[in-house]
Amino acid sequence: MTAIIELDRVSFRYPGASRDTLRNVCLTIEEGDFVAVIGGNGSGKTTLCKTFNGLVPHYWVGEFAGEATVAGLDTYDSSVAELSSTVGYVYQDFQNQLVRPRVRDEVEFGPMNFGMPDFAERGRQAMEMLGIDHLAERFVWQLSGGQAHLTALASVLAMRPRVIVVDEPVAEVDPAGAHALYERLTQLNREHGITVVVIEHHAEFISQYAKSVVLMDDGAPVWHLPAAEAAARAAELEAHGIPAPQIIDACAALDLPGAPRTIAEAAAIVRGAGVTPRGASSVEDAAGESPACPARPVVTASSLTHGYRTVAGDLMTVLHGIDLTVDAGDRIALVGGNGAGKSTLMRLLGGLQVPREGTIVLDGVDTRSASSARLADHAAYLFQRPEQMFLKDSIRSDVRLHPAGRGREDADALVDRVLDRVRLTPFADRDGRTLSGGQQRRATLAIGLAMGPALLLADEPTASLDVASRDSVIAMLDELSDTIAAAVVATHDMHLVAEWATRVVVLEQGRILADLAPRALFGDDALLTRARLVPPQIVSLGRELGMDPVPLSVGQWRDAFTAAGAEVHA
Amino acid sequence: MSRKTRDVLSVEWVKLELIRTAYATRGGLFAKMDARMVIGWYLMLAVAPWLTHSFATIIALFVITAVSAALARVGPLVLGLFLVGFVTDFLYAFLAAWMFGGDANTALALVEINLKLATVSLASIAAFVSLDPEKLSTGLLALGAPELLAFGVSYGYRMMPILFEEFGVVFTGLRLRSAPGARGFLGLRALWRWGTYAVQAFYPIFLNTAKSVRTTVESLETRGFTARQGRELRIARLSIGALDVTVVAVTLAAVIAAFAIGPWVMTG
Repeated sequence: MTAIIELDRVSFRYPGASRDTLRNVCLTIEEGDFVAVIGGNGSGKTTLCKTFNGLVPHYWVGEFAGEATVAGLDTYDSSVAELSSTVGYVYQDFQNQLVRPRVRDEVEFGPMNFGMPDFAERGRQAMEMLGIDHLAERFVWQLSGGQAHLTALASVLAMRPRVIVVDEPVAEVDPAGAHALYERLTQLNREHGITVVVIEHHAEFISQYAKSVVLMDDGAPVWHLPAAEAAARAAELEAHGIPAPQIIDACAALDLPGAPRTIAEAAAIVRGAGVTPRGASSVEDAAGESPACPARPVVTASSLTHGYRTVAGDLMTVLHGIDLTVDAGDRIALVGGNGAGKSTLMRLLGGLQVPREGTIVLDGVDTRSASSARLADHAAYLFQRPEQMFLKDSIRSDVRLHPAGRGREDADALVDRVLDRVRLTPFADRDGRTLSGGQQRRATLAIGLAMGPALLLADEPTASLDVASRDSVIAMLDELSDTIAAAVVATHDMHLVAEWATRVVVLEQGRILADLAPRALFGDDALLTRARLVPPQIVSLGRELGMDPVPLSVGQWRDAFTAAGAEVHA
Repeated sequence: MSRKTRDVLSVEWVKLELIRTAYATRGGLFAKMDARMVIGWYLMLAVAPWLTHSFATIIALFVITAVSAALARVGPLVLGLFLVGFVTDFLYAFLAAWMFGGDANTALALVEINLKLATVSLASIAAFVSLDPEKLSTGLLALGAPELLAFGVSYGYRMMPILFEEFGVVFTGLRLRSAPGARGFLGLRALWRWGTYAVQAFYPIFLNTAKSVRTTVESLETRGFTARQGRELRIARLSIGALDVTVVAVTLAAVIAAFAIGPWVMTG
């Protein structure tokens, strides 16, 4: 193999910054490799990848030292335009990368700008390679997240690049969409020899798809290793904010050596070691606890039907005859693919909109009889993108907005208490937009809490978070359950479902497909397939080994083996 | 009070109507035409009314553009706004003439200029309702507009649905979390409050948008937008067909006829 990207002692400092973002980077990427670049926030991953297509130092003009060669071109002596026919870049917020009205125009945009006469052919081919040719005439704002991501990829593919860089592909699409994208990237890598570089936080994707891994820390690569070797360094990865995949954790929990990449490999290791789970009865099923007194309903929805007008003018029904009661103490995860009606149902439950048919009684109030502002005293709705909830210039004023507006005398004390609770007191005077992803989510939780709701509704609270921040948000949701009567969370995140929820409501095409406990959901293969859900690795591993009940977290897994004194035949 | 989901005259409806208008999703006669010919057609009708003082000709031109607007399938929102403007302008003309001691002739002169303005507005509505952003920007390119302007037009359209969405969400947030209050006389206080929210909504929208535009600008750079070699390719996509020629010819004939009947009505 030959090297396609070679960095030799590259350093870079952004204008006005006090220190280098990249420090003496020496890195070689072979043609045909599938590289995952990992590292904590601020480790310089994104800046590194922007040297590949010349955005650093041509667009971001800073202090650049060293030599970067991409496909034989010295990036310092060439332009972004020249390099972009070699390196394609798909952004994390790929929606903002789409600039033309229709998919076809978007995909042809690059080749057209460079005056390539075969632009139509290139566009058609790129769309075919990704299987989105049927979307060619759609307007880009009509696309789902996954489709928009593939369109962004197709638009760089139309330039026939030799390298494709994808920044955090999992951040803004559902797991099924993320897997689909990775499958396409693998196909491009295998069949067309395109070198793929992904910036990725999620260990399970890295171990499943990447061939090699670059670990970045403080502006320089710590190492560049084949994926299998990288996965074996679980402790080192953990230290850099990349928790190991659950199956590796699971083996480590039993003191078994090895770094399995798939569920089957992990099961083989466990079977080979001859350990058997014993503690079947030690696993507590939170959903199984029956309350002593009959539960108080927080919100009741009966025969809900709702829909929207489309641009073409017809009524698109999103929810069909939904009946749902949320009781005090419920932690409900609302799952289902994009377009299943999750957000619509939540907006109706929170009184943001009223249903076309059927009724909703929220905390004793019919949502038709009160304005949405009044209903905000009973239900807090957290939008999917945190920045949409930052209406003021500091977190403190954002949290204060609702209680102060309602004339609560203890508003300031309440705000202090809530901020302390989500551990954001040191950041209270900053604009929410300047915080990290995890802090932003916690800030929105604080806003919700200060509203003192009976019902908390959160739309994708763990989306686009790295694993550590995601776990902290799940833990936070867990802690807060005593202050709110019930919570409903729309999510694609099966870890959140497994570790937090007591009830899962599966939506499909606007109908409730199932309403059951998380463990029951993960035990039902037909249902999982139908709803396109991928259970967490630890659940799959537990099932592969025939454990009953299956563990929902690594903690439960460990307990199942150790608490009741599993025998280890070494 | 009972809330219900409304399909017309709601915020959602306004949003949909604007998108339908901007993206020419209703189709219509001119939507099938070449952008250059639509722009040419529009210029013809936009200039014609200013070349005459004959009342009959102006009315005839107005009828031509009204028929065109119908053929272009202009949506109810834009048409409604046009009608409101049209009617109030007329009322204002009569009121002004009467208050400042004018007579029927003064009123007629004011009506004449209003009718000319209405004709031009109807023609522009019919034309621009029929041009989707890609067509419009290519058409502008073909007519010699700078590439940046042509792109700006198409990008502006692209941003429109995003900004609506963003505004909707931020406005809802403000409404939910700000202090509720009484509706007041004729809902005036509620209206005032909503006005305040609309202004306050700009702070978060600007910051959120500024952040996302950074990606857009970078990505434009990587996709050769500044290479500027695509002009000919884009223009080469346009083609003028039989429909274009027919529509322009028929309109031209109608305009000439309108000018012909002017003197004829005067003398006859």
